[in-house]
Amino acid sequence: MSLEPTAPASAHLRNVDKFYGDFQALKNVTLDIPPGKVTCLIGPSGSGKSTLLRCINFLEEYDSGEVRIDDRLIGYETPGGRRMSGRRLREMRRDIGMVFQQFNLWPHMTALQNVAEGLERVRGLKRAEATERAREALAKVGLADKEANHPSRLSGGQQQRVAIARAIAMQPRIMLFDEPTSALDPELVGEVLAVMKQLAAEGMTMVVVTHEMGFAAHVADRVVFMERGELVAAGAPREIFQNPADQRLASFLQGYRERNSLDF
Amino acid sequence: MFSFQTIVENLPTLLGAARYTLLISVLGCAQGLILGALLCAAALSKRTALRRAAGLYVSFFRGVPLLIQLLVAYYLLPVVGINVPPLAAAVLTVGLCAAAYLSEVLRGSINAIPKGQAEAALAIGMTPRDLWVRVLLPQALKIGLPAIVNELILLVKASSLVTVVGIVEITRMSQSIASSTYRYLEIYLAAAFLYLAINLVIAAAGRLLERRLTV
Ligand SMILES: Nc1ncnc2c1ncn2[C@@H]1O[C@H](COP(=O)(O)OP(=O)(O)OP(=O)(O)O)[C@@H](O)[C@H]1O
Ligand SMILES: [Mg+2]
Repeated sequence: MSLEPTAPASAHLRNVDKFYGDFQALKNVTLDIPPGKVTCLIGPSGSGKSTLLRCINFLEEYDSGEVRIDDRLIGYETPGGRRMSGRRLREMRRDIGMVFQQFNLWPHMTALQNVAEGLERVRGLKRAEATERAREALAKVGLADKEANHPSRLSGGQQQRVAIARAIAMQPRIMLFDEPTSALDPELVGEVLAVMKQLAAEGMTMVVVTHEMGFAAHVADRVVFMERGELVAAGAPREIFQNPADQRLASFLQGYRERNSLDF
Repeated sequence: MFSFQTIVENLPTLLGAARYTLLISVLGCAQGLILGALLCAAALSKRTALRRAAGLYVSFFRGVPLLIQLLVAYYLLPVVGINVPPLAAAVLTVGLCAAAYLSEVLRGSINAIPKGQAEAALAIGMTPRDLWVRVLLPQALKIGLPAIVNELILLVKASSLVTVVGIVEITRMSQSIASSTYRYLEIYLAAAFLYLAINLVIAAAGRLLERRLTV
């Protein structure tokens, strides 16, 4: 087996600020992502969940504070210092998988090529080896029989599973998910969540921005609630969902329950 | 009296001249695409100096008539000590000019690609070069294909301007045959059909490619 599990990484945010012009999207956020655990980020639209997530792989450049993968600072050479070189940033990103709401599969490549691309170009594997490992990753998300399909010939759920395969094939040590099921028809959500649960069970470090409160309640080890760029509450799912201490969290959950008339 | 005989007799000569039309168009287009892709990358770069340089380049080569560019190249290059055959100067100039137009086509196409495409590449640690070659350009070529085919057809027609530097391509050759045979209509019609044939082939190739790229 070449898709061996890797040692899960932790991530640490310290006093992170992020501005879009004058607008402050992240306000002094401090958060520890423990290794091998699932951390879910919840909160209203525009609260900065995606921004926070994207700071972890520096797709979004934070303005001050520190973001570390294990103990390595990402994005800057020193806290508040110069930008780190492209080469070092790429090296760090290889270990951080990301799954997007819109899948972002490359439409001109087949499912197999989408998964093998990074293995060949970034990990530097030989074509045959990359293909073999890509097949393994596709098999793992249950899509071994779809390897020749282009994304346009896959359902949304299948596309997202290919995107997950693309990420896990790189053998990341931490994975970021930005609302991975929000673009899916309801009946396709389950297959994607199932793959994510499997990853969680294998001990992958996962940070998941989600509106799937059921997933957060049942799979997360820790749930973090954000509002207006601030980290408002964090705790075990039980604490967050059953006895929300914070008023804003309580009303967010209330609103969610009313919209979905579900209990969890 | 319309004389097919004249056309048949002079067709080999015209076809011979068409070689230059094709040569200049094909080489100019290849150069234009490669240089145009580089220019486009510069125009979209984070570095201000690169963006400025690309902007200047495009303004110049789009803003000055190709005819003048050819004349400048023809008379300027020897002055600065570069002695290249007229054909090379012509190909070079046509390519430089095509690059300006093609870079703008590509820039528009790349802007039409959803941002997430590049983000997915950057997130796995792809280099900027691979991002361009593997992810952005293939998609941009597809999006821009109809416009690129347009440019190529314009290029074939514009290649007639190279006569000013003494290259005898289809247009120049037909003029000279016409004035020696006094069969203007026949010869110019033949030239028209030659251009048409070349451009129909390009258009058909474009459509074929478009179908193949659609998945
Ligand atoms: N590129 C940008 N330029 C300007 N403002 C931005 C940009 N990206 C995000 N914002 C703003 O920053 C805030 C946080 O955005 P973010 O996308 O992180 O929210 P979110 O919690 O992920 O919301 P959603 O649940 O809708 O995805 C929002 O108010 C948004 O309008
Ligand atoms: Mg978001």
